[in-house]
Amino acid sequence: MSKFTNNFLAPSHGVELRNEALTLLSSLPVPTRRNERWKYSSVSKLINASLETYKGGEVGIEGWPKEINPNPVPQLEAYRIVFRNGVYEPTLSELPTFKGVVCMPLSSISEEQSKTLFSNKYHKTEWVGALNAAYYQDGFYLHVSKNIKLDRPIIVHHLTDGENVANFPRHFVRIDEGGEAEVVVWTTASQDSSGMCNSLFEASIAPNAQLFLEKITNEEGEIYSFAHDFIIQEADSRFKAHNFTIKGSWVRNELSIVSAGKGTDTIFNGAYLPCGNEHVDNHTTMDHTYPDGTSSELYRGIMYGKSTGVFNGKVFVRPDAQRTNAFQQNTNIVADRGASINAKPELEIYADDVKCAHGCTVGQFDLEALFYLKSRGLDENAARTLLVEAFIADVLSSVPNEALRNEIKRLYSERHHWS
Amino acid sequence: MLKIKNLHAKVGDNEILKGLNLEVGPGEVHAIMGPNGSGKSTLASVLAGRESYEVTEGEVELDGVNLLDLDATERAREGVFLAFQYPIEIPGVSNLNFMKAAINGKRTHLGLEPIKPKDFLTKVKECSSLVELDGRLRDRSVNEGFSGGEKKRNEIFQMAMLDPKLAILDETDSGLDIDALRVVSKGVNKMRSKDRSFIVITHYQRLLEHIVPDFVHVLSEGKIVKSGGKELALELEEKGYDWLK
Repeated sequence: MSKFTNNFLAPSHGVELRNEALTLLSSLPVPTRRNERWKYSSVSKLINASLETYKGGEVGIEGWPKEINPNPVPQLEAYRIVFRNGVYEPTLSELPTFKGVVCMPLSSISEEQSKTLFSNKYHKTEWVGALNAAYYQDGFYLHVSKNIKLDRPIIVHHLTDGENVANFPRHFVRIDEGGEAEVVVWTTASQDSSGMCNSLFEASIAPNAQLFLEKITNEEGEIYSFAHDFIIQEADSRFKAHNFTIKGSWVRNELSIVSAGKGTDTIFNGAYLPCGNEHVDNHTTMDHTYPDGTSSELYRGIMYGKSTGVFNGKVFVRPDAQRTNAFQQNTNIVADRGASINAKPELEIYADDVKCAHGCTVGQFDLEALFYLKSRGLDENAARTLLVEAFIADVLSSVPNEALRNEIKRLYSERHHWS
Repeated sequence: MLKIKNLHAKVGDNEILKGLNLEVGPGEVHAIMGPNGSGKSTLASVLAGRESYEVTEGEVELDGVNLLDLDATERAREGVFLAFQYPIEIPGVSNLNFMKAAINGKRTHLGLEPIKPKDFLTKVKECSSLVELDGRLRDRSVNEGFSGGEKKRNEIFQMAMLDPKLAILDETDSGLDIDALRVVSKGVNKMRSKDRSFIVITHYQRLLEHIVPDFVHVLSEGKIVKSGGKELALELEEKGYDWLK
């Protein structure tokens, strides 16, 4: 397996973690279909490819592909931190200078401090995680102090650009007690690019603090896109996440949330509408370890063409997590004959005074509804579009920011020829 | 206006319509009655173009246009409207957006500009007052969480919005209480005109006290076995259907 990483270079910061991860990398198994977590998402084609980490070249707008706007949501008043092939692009970024908020590239953090940041164990359990920890080039660091509300969202934009590129963004967010922030992670790839974007996002949300996270994947080319998000919520904190896959040839989103204090509130929703031969995998874990938490999860997908999909949603309610209220719903439409989805809810409940509801369905377009719409004079395409928009509206409408919501809808609409 | 000749239709291997003949002139209201399983709802579905029914023989013409050559969308644009026996709930699709898309679909088909927002709203007001459909129901998702009566009123609201040449009411009265039946019937009666024809399918004579038909037909085993004036409905109420077999 060392052959796969032959052309990967590790920067000189974060040495302790890298060394640990490098050691683990040689012992951790490469994911195969024999592993339940990777049963429906094969990486065999990827690991036979010959990838390289970015060696440098033109920076700034000169090196940036014309067809992609470094600012992916121009209508949104937001701060921005931009990475190309894992490398920070200062001239394309607009970092906040806001009292009580520290925001910078992760590479600027001192070695001492960097040891104290991440607490996830992903590099110890998964080969993909060890790769990220060993080879991450840079990432986004955000610290919001006590009772500070950052005035605008921050867009973290990472672009994969070029052939056989391996890039490893790694992000860390800490919101102190009573603080608030909104982060948008926007993942793109330019046309004809190929390789891997393997990103990690960790957020630690202190008591009574709040984080909104929106993640959008809109990649051209042929990228294996891995995202692992790890969220720790302390008492009474709020976390709201949205995940939209607009486009991407192979996408795996892992979201793991730990409720590590009483009375946390968690909402996480997602939508995916893959076409052609695309593959989209969403693995989510909600772990209630303390009492009085609520969580609500809604993922909706429509599978077109020959696309394949995976949904795996785990909810744990640990013995101490009494009075937890957990809700999970995953609804899928298989629109075309060649498409498929493997959906699997997993609930493990060890406390007795809890409310947990879940539902998971895979079906086709509702032919009765289609006939109803057509019988009023809508043509097939208009009728389907109306049903599709309605289907994902529940996910889209809960995105708190209107400009962002409109842009996501516009991108779906453009891709799927909605009127 | 509408001419149905020797219509045969089946679902799977089950032949349901077995040579049905019917002519409906402009402005006429025809009631079709009959026992369960006689083919009443099949007739409604076949006329509206539901794909699960296969027409094996016969002709259906609306003002000289062969309806059987058209799909459900095209039939609607030619002026056919089916008020469903069980209207579908479509969460997330707003009633008004749906109506706007339907009206503009038809207008585009006729080579007209999309309806002006102001004209659309005026029409919405007119048509919703026709069936006392209040704003709360009008603006919601299509039929979502509506009671049975509200759904049927919404059907008549849609009918008024789309201004059809031929309206087919498929058991619009079933499941309605008397008050709702009055409201729905009043809406239908207001829409009666010399250019619009109705086929009113019902299991119960009660509806025909409110929507008084010009003709009553009895459907049995896929054929019309008796036709008459509105008095026939009363006779059926008294004697049942068995004497016709």
